[in-house]
Amino acid sequence: MFDIVIRNGRIADGSGLPAFDGDLGISRGRLVRVGGKLTAKARHQIDARGRVVAPGFIDPHTHFDAQLLWDGQARPALEHGVTTVVHGNCSLSLAPLKVEHRPKLVRMFQQIEEMPDAAFDGAFEWSWESFADYVAALRGRVALNVAPLAGHSPLRMWVMGPDAQKRAAKPDEIRAMQDLLRACLEAGAVGLSTSYVDMDENLAPVPSRYAHVDELDALAAVLGEYGRMLQVVPEFYNTDLSVARVDQLAELSLAHGIPTTFSPLFDSAAIPDNVPRVLERVAEQFARGARVWPQVQTRPIDISFSLDVASLYWIGLPMWYLILRLPREQKLAQLRHPGTRKALIDAVAASPDPRRLDSLRVRDSRDTSLIGRSLGELARERGATPADVLIDLSLAEDLGVHFLAARLGHEDPSRIGPILANDLVHVGASDGGAHIQSFATYGDTGYLFSEFVRQGHHLSLEHAVRKITGDTAQIWGMSERGLLREGMAADVVIFDAEAIARGDELPARDMPEGGMRYVRSATGVDCTIVNGEIAWTAAGGYTDARPGVVVNARA
Amino acid sequence: MIADATVAPGHDGQAVLVVRLRHENGAFDTVTLDADQARALLEECAASSAADLRGQPWRRLLRVLEQPTDRED
Repeated sequence: MFDIVIRNGRIADGSGLPAFDGDLGISRGRLVRVGGKLTAKARHQIDARGRVVAPGFIDPHTHFDAQLLWDGQARPALEHGVTTVVHGNCSLSLAPLKVEHRPKLVRMFQQIEEMPDAAFDGAFEWSWESFADYVAALRGRVALNVAPLAGHSPLRMWVMGPDAQKRAAKPDEIRAMQDLLRACLEAGAVGLSTSYVDMDENLAPVPSRYAHVDELDALAAVLGEYGRMLQVVPEFYNTDLSVARVDQLAELSLAHGIPTTFSPLFDSAAIPDNVPRVLERVAEQFARGARVWPQVQTRPIDISFSLDVASLYWIGLPMWYLILRLPREQKLAQLRHPGTRKALIDAVAASPDPRRLDSLRVRDSRDTSLIGRSLGELARERGATPADVLIDLSLAEDLGVHFLAARLGHEDPSRIGPILANDLVHVGASDGGAHIQSFATYGDTGYLFSEFVRQGHHLSLEHAVRKITGDTAQIWGMSERGLLREGMAADVVIFDAEAIARGDELPARDMPEGGMRYVRSATGVDCTIVNGEIAWTAAGGYTDARPGVVVNARA
Repeated sequence: MIADATVAPGHDGQAVLVVRLRHENGAFDTVTLDADQARALLEECAASSAADLRGQPWRRLLRVLEQPTDRED
């Protein structure tokens, strides 16, 4: 008898080979039969007729570190078919971490990943200092698999204390960091993350940025002992520096036999040669035998803002930009002043793009009926201009209304599709669980299918599945996952190939203490199974199962 | 000198300013500024808009880049 049999599905097994019709048998957390007709009984039977049966999706770039401790289901990742998440990216992890360093690290998380106080303060019990104890705190709590990275910044803080943000490490300190990293890897860390970009809450570089090349080389040597990943945030805003980092990672990869990955890498009409130049160098380094995986996200990038802050969105309208840079009370007075208001509206009308405000949408407002509506629509209803509406809505809520200028970057499918299809591109960089009060970091997997499989035909269904399952598992060395093969872990997602997509971005107040974040629900996903247990279904929602494990990885 | 400057979305959903530089040998390069840096560059150049930055010397940009910033990944 099977625990679960999934019958009549179209099996896309994660290899990229053509999908085929058949059944899937699961017992004791493993796939025991893949394909053919299964007649044996099962505790659960799922009819997947007309649906795709695929390996659970793997998200290689998240910041669910804290959320997993108060929401072991990492909502809404499971709803999107994600069964494994890599967290601890960008030099930041919650372990190893001495008690006295907790406040400092929390402030860094809050600054860099835009996480609210409530995500840390009282939302969970800090029961660890070591990586092993952190991993123990996750066990039995998580509904999806976790693949934690050890962060370079807390590693430095542990060994160097306050000097971690002042200077390069001495030889004995480097040796101590090597020993500490070794302990993390022994405890289940899938690699090390570091950053060349991020700043702390005081605008000081994070600890990892004070490391000299010999320190990173020594740590990469330890990764080489275990065949584990080095994740890096390069200077993604500068193409030349990004190319230089590709070269640096290639040398570390070759010297120590490790895989490396960097993120983010994204396309922009303002810098059209950025991705092509970086990928050209990546290809050169792969040809040398290095492993340097660029992570590219699927979703377009939006700009969000409120009038409370002078966003650069307004730099093309000098009068707006000038007014919005005023101190708050002066700004409010100017926006209320009839003469200033008329001048602002006239400035939009006289600009080279007088309809630029029409497509702005309300992202968040106390008046929920406004959310998602465009200023153009609202202006027509009110017999006003979009600029009038923008000002009125903002003043009505003390500048607290947020607006969205959608799809302003990484938005051209004819450019993004071929990038995602490139065999040297690692589909990822979702940032799940981060920037939660700015935009939703969920649903990139659904968007891959809706935009680049169904709409643009840049990838076949099987290719898209492979990019976020089999390829990801291979890149990270998750040898038991990413494929539907007998003996593999039973991480499975069942979805409708004609419907899978990301839902609308909506504000939700489901953080600890009622805090707000943006989320997206899933469309077209029927069921998510983790290690042979049903974790979520579209019909029944989340189950009580907590089948997630800390994954084994050796690349 | 600064050839032009355009607004683009940053990784974190905030608008950034992409400044294109033209070198003496005719080559072009780009530098991406966050909101604070862009504001500082406008002040450094006594400019009121992105368009006003055209033709400004690159040394003014260098002075802005030497200040701390709060880029986020």
